[in-house]
Amino acid sequence: MKAEVVSTHRGGMWAWLFQRITAVLLIVCLAIHLIFTHILNIGELDYDNIANRLAHGGFIAVDIILLAAGIFHALNGLRMVLLDYWFSPRKRAVALSIVLWVVGIVAMVYGTWALWPWIT
Amino acid sequence: MSGKTRETANIGAGLWKATGMWAWLLFRISGLILVFYLGAHIIVISTGQFDKLNDLMKMFDHPVLVLMDLALVVAVLYHALNGVRIILMDLGIGIKRHKIVFWSAMAVVVVCFAIFAWVAFTFIVTGEGVTS
Repeated sequence: MKAEVVSTHRGGMWAWLFQRITAVLLIVCLAIHLIFTHILNIGELDYDNIANRLAHGGFIAVDIILLAAGIFHALNGLRMVLLDYWFSPRKRAVALSIVLWVVGIVAMVYGTWALWPWIT
Repeated sequence: MSGKTRETANIGAGLWKATGMWAWLLFRISGLILVFYLGAHIIVISTGQFDKLNDLMKMFDHPVLVLMDLALVVAVLYHALNGVRIILMDLGIGIKRHKIVFWSAMAVVVVCFAIFAWVAFTFIVTGEGVTS
């Protein structure tokens, strides 16, 4: 029993909590994202269509939440999977966390740069 | 420990048997697919900065890629609804009825998938969206 309880929290309390918070944000924002891009605008997606939508501040907010919450949730999820395998010893786990934080920050900067014309 | 207690004891850890094992495995597989898709998605969308987006978007109208998008929707819906179930278990809601909770979540997946499938097949057959 004990080992199973420990394994639930292996990734740390804050990672666990933020994984849940980003999950809820992603469900709400992904629903908006999928309905607008893939149900209402299917077949019409091009630069102008996307640009028109992004001209509304609400969609920029949704996209930035998707970017930040998506990157955190994805990389932390990947970390949780990898911690079950070769990365379980402490030193490897710390190295993995550092690498994933760097990847996450680079992805966040790159994604923000892609959205920059509509943010400013 | 009685049978019922043993069955519900490990739900939060995702270590319970039968339905739970497959739920956990599919959750992991769909999660990994979505991680790699997110990376590809950020790179594709950023081509808008290089005036290359429109060519790529035309490619995504091909029936095969529409069907692949639909497969991706399945991964998203399953991961989202199974995630809702896990959060409910963490909050201690419905632990004693966890199988009903799981299959209710899967029913939501099927209903949402039906909507996306209808839109996708309408587009493949007519070349137009359902609202245009």
